[in-house]
Amino acid sequence: MADLRSQEPTQTLDVLGRVCPYPLVITKKTIEKAPNGTLLKVLCDAPASAEDTIPKYCEKQGFPMELIKLEDKGYWEIWIKKP
Amino acid sequence: MATTKLGFIIQRPGYKSENPKLALTHAIASQSVEIYLKDGDLVTADIAFIGDGVLNCIKDQKALENYDLNSTESHIKMSLLLDLNVLVCKEDLDKFGLSESDIVLDAPEFGADMEVKVVSYAEIAKMMDDMHHLLFF
Repeated sequence: MADLRSQEPTQTLDVLGRVCPYPLVITKKTIEKAPNGTLLKVLCDAPASAEDTIPKYCEKQGFPMELIKLEDKGYWEIWIKKP
Repeated sequence: MATTKLGFIIQRPGYKSENPKLALTHAIASQSVEIYLKDGDLVTADIAFIGDGVLNCIKDQKALENYDLNSTESHIKMSLLLDLNVLVCKEDLDKFGLSESDIVLDAPEFGADMEVKVVSYAEIAKMMDDMHHLLFF
């Protein structure tokens, strides 16, 4: 799964500044509407969403996911593949 | 697989209390709980504005300017983005002399596909009958 970040995302979703539960529900809705094969890159600065709920959602759905915290920018990049 | 249907009924005007915003926040948050449920289990949320609650739907709210608060309008728009079913009682709008042109009906700027539906109270009552749980705010 480490190769997700090396690919060009199909779509980027910016939920910076949004607090829980918005990052999760917006991400969920975006993925639901996206066609199969979509690689979604989510920008999120809500710690609980980035490190807990969004990864849990991806795990439950069986979506490959990769997460990186950009310490210098203070937010996370989350790469999610919809198979 | 089971679907739990929640109905959020908003009957108080905005900014007088936190209730309307709480209703919308809870309805939105309900869409995140499936990660903690069994596979296939879902929660749906319908929202209905009735009585004085229809005043929450007036568009172009200046909440930030007047109250230093995020507007209820933006919460309604977010509900539409998340495809929640949002109903507004036509009879209660009429009571306040309001029409569809006075209220938030859609949120294209948020990328929402859903629209607010102005319906008769009979339709809202039917929706309430269809819910597993009703929460009044």
